Amino acid sequence: MDQLVRQYTKSPHQNEFYSEQEQHDLTESLPPLSLKFALPPVANHSAFLRAMTDDHSNPNCPIKLAHGTTTLAFRFQGGIIVCTDSRATAGNWIASQTVKKVIPVSRLSRAEDKPGSAPVPGLLGTMAGGAADCQYWLRYLSQQCTLHEIRHKRRITVAAASKILANLTYAYKGYGLSMGTMLAGVTPQEGPALYYIDSDGTRLPGNLFCVGSGQTFAYGVLDANYRYDLTEEEALELGRRSILAAMHRDAYSGGFINLYHVKEEGWVHHGFDDMNPIFWKTKLEKGEFSNVTSAL
Amino acid sequence: MTSLLSHNPHTNSIGYSFAQPTNAGNTEHSYTDNGGSVLGITGKDFAVLAGDTRSTSGYNINSRYVPKVFKIGGEDETGKDAHILLSVVGFAADGLALKERLDAVVKMYKYQHGKPMGVRACAQRLSTILYQKRFFPYYVQAILAGLDEEGKGALYGYDPVGSYEREQCRSAGAASSLIMPFLDNQVNLKNQYIPGSGEGHALAARKPEPMSRETVEQLVRDAFTSAVERHIEVGDGLQMLVITANGIEEIYHPLKKD
Amino acid sequence: MYVPISEVLLGITGKDFVILAASKAAMRGPTILKAEDDKTKQLNEHTLVAFSGEAGDTVQFAEYVQANVQLYTMRNDTELSPNAVANFVRGELARSLRSRNPYTVNLLLGGVDPISQKPHLYWIDYLASLARVPYAAHGYAQYYCLSTLDKHHHPDITLEQGMKLLEMCTDELKRRLPIDYKGVLVKVVTKDGVREVEFDNNRIVKSA
Repeated sequence: MDQLVRQYTKSPHQNEFYSEQEQHDLTESLPPLSLKFALPPVANHSAFLRAMTDDHSNPNCPIKLAHGTTTLAFRFQGGIIVCTDSRATAGNWIASQTVKKVIPVSRLSRAEDKPGSAPVPGLLGTMAGGAADCQYWLRYLSQQCTLHEIRHKRRITVAAASKILANLTYAYKGYGLSMGTMLAGVTPQEGPALYYIDSDGTRLPGNLFCVGSGQTFAYGVLDANYRYDLTEEEALELGRRSILAAMHRDAYSGGFINLYHVKEEGWVHHGFDDMNPIFWKTKLEKGEFSNVTSAL
Repeated sequence: MTSLLSHNPHTNSIGYSFAQPTNAGNTEHSYTDNGGSVLGITGKDFAVLAGDTRSTSGYNINSRYVPKVFKIGGEDETGKDAHILLSVVGFAADGLALKERLDAVVKMYKYQHGKPMGVRACAQRLSTILYQKRFFPYYVQAILAGLDEEGKGALYGYDPVGSYEREQCRSAGAASSLIMPFLDNQVNLKNQYIPGSGEGHALAARKPEPMSRETVEQLVRDAFTSAVERHIEVGDGLQMLVITANGIEEIYHPLKKD
Repeated sequence: MYVPISEVLLGITGKDFVILAASKAAMRGPTILKAEDDKTKQLNEHTLVAFSGEAGDTVQFAEYVQANVQLYTMRNDTELSPNAVANFVRGELARSLRSRNPYTVNLLLGGVDPISQKPHLYWIDYLASLARVPYAAHGYAQYYCLSTLDKHHHPDITLEQGMKLLEMCTDELKRRLPIDYKGVLVKVVTKDGVREVEFDNNRIVKSA
């Protein structure tokens, strides 16, 4: 009580310089992946953030955030296929065509891919919605997964990892986070496991998910050709073709096709390939995309 | 706590002052855009980070020399011994606050670990700094440059809340929509094909190769002189910082002042 | 202007035919008023339109263009080609768009040219855009079916293959659309005219 009274009886100019705690936070060299976030000095935080950053409800909003777009993942007999596009948009502006929307979530998590094609143990996360939200929280999740490994001397299950993330997004519900993510991994306890988690707090296990503005187009191709007993070759091609379909029909998707296969030994990267040559190859060799024509 | 709040905190009769945010609900004046543009390009053993020096608010020009590219982790005000560059465009006050904060972090890292912070670590740290203000963002677009563990030029582009990516080149700010397509074409050789290598879709694309420092500096100057011609918020001067194994070199190049 | 995009319109062309499919649910607000609605109208011997949009506007507009196309045929003793009909419909929509009370109607117009015997399919929206396409959709069907059609459509497919393709599309809608559109009514235009074809709307679709 005394402390509270003291807190509110500071002299009026007390706030004009950084407090000791604030100074410490500012220079702390270990990144605190903690939950200390600055909040705007207004009554309604989410309304403020929406006014500033949501270009859908406010096209003139001053801060344009990068948004991710089409991602898919599905389970099949040989593991899990994870495939994404690589475009980030801020309004109509293409902020980047080379975004890595598949994020390794594990102790060995590195932004770059490993040289060589040996499988890398660990989970994969995908990124749709706010790019920063996905990057930051999947990084936070990697940290939690590593801590789990250290504490329990075994790798975390996908179910547990996804629950950490879902609890987190649920705790921040209403704050304006925007993320639709999938976690894929193969563990001895679960076998191949796939979970969908979003910023509303939803967490769903499943066989097949497509997330992002191009999701419906990806579903269109994926649903029609999906079988659990797909061969590895067929599954990789189906993932690639479904993303291509979304890139073709959804303006917010495009760039490169990023393809991963998660197996028991770990995940394997199967390329980050420019969509343009793949599109023309598909059209000219298989006769698909018959709507694309120069004939009048 | 509850007992305290059951009193009306707004009445002064109790005798203590209750720290109240004064602009509650009024968010219009939280941010302003000070214009300008920055751009960064990497080479095999160097990185260039450049920005114009004009500062604007609306149609007013505040100053013709407000640098937007900073040295991070240097000894004193001169930035001696700095090994990382940061550029920020958007709201200059947020940009400056961000720079000060990153600078402090990089210095503390050196004092605590006895070695300079690597650019990869610094890049991730900057991302978390930006994300700490996810719900009240720094209104800035940042670019970080330095040399990586192998001595190659490294460049990281950021959005206002900290999503980041290592790239060959990146432009940000008011004229980024003018400069970025130019860079795509000239640095990453997008939509450039080898003449006579085939017909139609068989045409082979040109592969980007590492560029010399002279070529890169010329590209930067061309990008800015062109942006000045078509964007009102860009002009006055071009500040170019080049980082190599020998340190940081600063080059100033005048731009049109209209 | 309100355009109900939960109504399904699909069109597929092949070697010598055009398939038009329209959802059978007539919806008003939260209610399905009728589950056997026919959202198509035959404009002349070889052209058929499927329409969706603002209640009232749809049928009024379809009947209006139908009457005028038939009037033209009576006066001039010539049948208009699908291309001519499509451009006439577009013109009427464009004129209406600048009037005090525009028609809010999206259409798919399919026909087989009586002279060249080539199938034609036109995608027309309420803002009077006109595009000739090999396959088309309106409403949510655009989001779910166009990628399927991109992959599986070929210009020289037979009617059986066309019906299989349509089935793939409706299967996907059954799987993913959270709306019961009460199945589709399917009509086919060939050089012999327009006919309704049987379509199994009661298939149970398995989800992954």
